[in-house]
Amino acid sequence: MEIKIRKNVLDRNKNMANEVRSLLQEKKVLMVNIISSPGAGKTTLLERTLENLKDKFKIGIIEGDITTDRDAQRLNGHGVPIVVINTEGGCHLDSHSILKVLPEFNLDNTDVIFVENVGNLVCPSHFDLGEDFKLAVVSTAEGDDKPIKYPMLFREAKAILLNKIDLIEYTNFNITSFRVDLNNVNGRVPLMEISCTKNLGMEQWYNWIYEEISSK
Amino acid sequence: MHELKIVEELIGIITQVAESENLKKVTKVNIQFGKMIMIVPDVFQFVFEGAVKGTVARKARLSLEILPIIFACNKCKVETEIDDLLFICPYCGSNDLQLKQGREILIESIEGEKSDCKIVKGEKQEVKN
Repeated sequence: MEIKIRKNVLDRNKNMANEVRSLLQEKKVLMVNIISSPGAGKTTLLERTLENLKDKFKIGIIEGDITTDRDAQRLNGHGVPIVVINTEGGCHLDSHSILKVLPEFNLDNTDVIFVENVGNLVCPSHFDLGEDFKLAVVSTAEGDDKPIKYPMLFREAKAILLNKIDLIEYTNFNITSFRVDLNNVNGRVPLMEISCTKNLGMEQWYNWIYEEISSK
Repeated sequence: MHELKIVEELIGIITQVAESENLKKVTKVNIQFGKMIMIVPDVFQFVFEGAVKGTVARKARLSLEILPIIFACNKCKVETEIDDLLFICPYCGSNDLQLKQGREILIESIEGEKSDCKIVKGEKQEVKN
């Protein structure tokens, strides 16, 4: 006999993500889910962003790492609360782990929570964490074919940061080809070309995220 | 390797439905994935076979259907199937598209055999026919 079910397999994740979303909506806290490959520069982006924004907003950080707290150690010392979620082999964060760590933050006194997802361009884009939006970070050292190879993330992200533009001359990264592919996959998403370590193009990112946090 | 987490959730649903429908054996599981999910069917099959061991679905066959990506153009309102990952309306050239199909992770149905016994709160009870 056949039993009809017709149900989203990730319903449980979706339901908990909605719980996170409504809690953050009530508290007027913006949550940004940062997704990239390992080594694209998520942690460095957060270091620069904390330096720039910590006096303007109350910030919280959730660090998703397969193991270790090295990324969190790098962000320590900025006076912002940081919670580490070790996924112990899991290649992405899920809404259950986010819901579990939210009580660690004083949400009445928080404007924005940046979630640094596990470095991976595929899996994290399938799991709603209850965030306001996803932010994709990609770097020139990875090659220019990422938008066309990982369309899901580039379709769903609210903005794309192309990091390490200072390294372009040392790579075979073709920026025209990258822009064309991104335009084909998602012609409406803003692209910001930056270098976190050389402090290039960062103002546009600070201004953009400032507006996003202020308008929540 | 998001296949693993999806399989875990899938088995949870199968086990729950098999219990409520009083199935002694699940013989087939019918699932559908949108193409955007980028599931590798062979990998999914491999993970599924490993994960169903010891469950009511240990002998279940997996039927996996990949659904094409379909977009509706917000400008000219035409719906289009996309297979070359070019997210631009072929009729009016707009990139203002709304996804209608392609990111599904659906369990459509399961097939199985009813048990003669009804299991209530962990205790077996004979069912009189």
